[in-house]
Amino acid sequence: MARITFRQDRCKGCRLCSAVCPRGIIVMSDEINEMGYHPAIIKAKEKCTGCTLCAIVCPDLVIEVEREEKVV
Amino acid sequence: MKGNEAIGEGAVRAGCRYFFGYPITPQSELTHYLAKRLPEVGGLYLQAESEVASINMVYGAAGVGARVMTSSSGPGISLMQEGLSYLAGAELPSVIVNMMRGGPGLGNIAPSQSDYFQATKGGGHGDYRLIALAPNSVQELFNMMKKAFELADKYRNPVILLTDGIMGQMMEPVDLEEEFEVEIPQKPWAASGKIDHEGKNVINSCFVIPEEMEKVNIRLQKKYFEIEQNEPVYEGYSLEGAELILVAFGTASRICRAVVEKARAQGIPAGLIRPVTLWPFPSGGFEKAAVQAKCFLTVEMNAGQMVEDVRLAVNGKAPVHHYGRLGGMVPAAGDVLEEVKRLYYGGAVR
Repeated sequence: MARITFRQDRCKGCRLCSAVCPRGIIVMSDEINEMGYHPAIIKAKEKCTGCTLCAIVCPDLVIEVEREEKVV
Repeated sequence: MKGNEAIGEGAVRAGCRYFFGYPITPQSELTHYLAKRLPEVGGLYLQAESEVASINMVYGAAGVGARVMTSSSGPGISLMQEGLSYLAGAELPSVIVNMMRGGPGLGNIAPSQSDYFQATKGGGHGDYRLIALAPNSVQELFNMMKKAFELADKYRNPVILLTDGIMGQMMEPVDLEEEFEVEIPQKPWAASGKIDHEGKNVINSCFVIPEEMEKVNIRLQKKYFEIEQNEPVYEGYSLEGAELILVAFGTASRICRAVVEKARAQGIPAGLIRPVTLWPFPSGGFEKAAVQAKCFLTVEMNAGQMVEDVRLAVNGKAPVHHYGRLGGMVPAAGDVLEEVKRLYYGGAVR
């Protein structure tokens, strides 16, 4: 189970995260953020695998992914 | 450094001391930056009451021989068209930045390339040309300001930096230490008082007698011809043996670079021509490339504007296709690659 959070006011709506998400669960919000952009949001949190691709690709450090380490 | 800030710093180091403008997203950080930076170097930043006022203040400062600039985005640049025509008519060196956004109308604040026609074909009245430059990295935004001011002074012509919201908002490392020696040429034509010349200097674009106006036009056309001979610049990427050549400028050219790499990895001989100057358009690059190329594909963030110049440059030697996203949407590398495959395997490449 992964927990994902978006700092929406830093998002400039470039859609890179939406393009790389293998589950296709990141979409652009209908709301407008502080800077005037439609920020990225996650539409089905429970489907997030915590792969962190979105967080890696985000140029504005909007996305934070927390997941449990597998202890061997 | 953010693209908008890099433009500001590049301008200051290129000797620009005057900025007149009006904020508009996605260009506002440039006005913020210069509002802080210009007073530090003894310059003047002024937020005018409108874009119309800004461009006419640029006319004034350029008329006395100062290095001066303004910046805006689509809707503001449209308001400046009358002033741009006057600047071109009076042959005043000046630099204008257009951080393009989605249109037409008020549109939106997302990145776009739909002001290509306006910048390269002239949005204002009369037979005039703007020198149009299209950078594609934050480093280049910084470096190109020097080139923009030099071209403006060399030809006594307004220069437009045609770039888009992605470039303005993007953050990339910038090497500010790059050689940046600036020499501002003497301007004996400037209306700066009778310090170094006799008689009066008049800055004017109004010639009531048609014979005189025609002479001015012929002189302008000679100048434009000279620019077309000397200044076109393009960048070729992976053109060796390329059968399918992508053509893109600015942000789209970065996406296309990735597409070319992916296509090559899949065995499709693709290459990329990236015009750095949009006017003068680097037609020479296409004459060479068209000999081996079987098909061209322009990728633009508009409905197909530069594609017309590519068709003229290719001159019927190969088919020229267009792929574009509109209204502020940015093409994804994967989607462009699909189009490349469709053309390559679908018979467009003979």
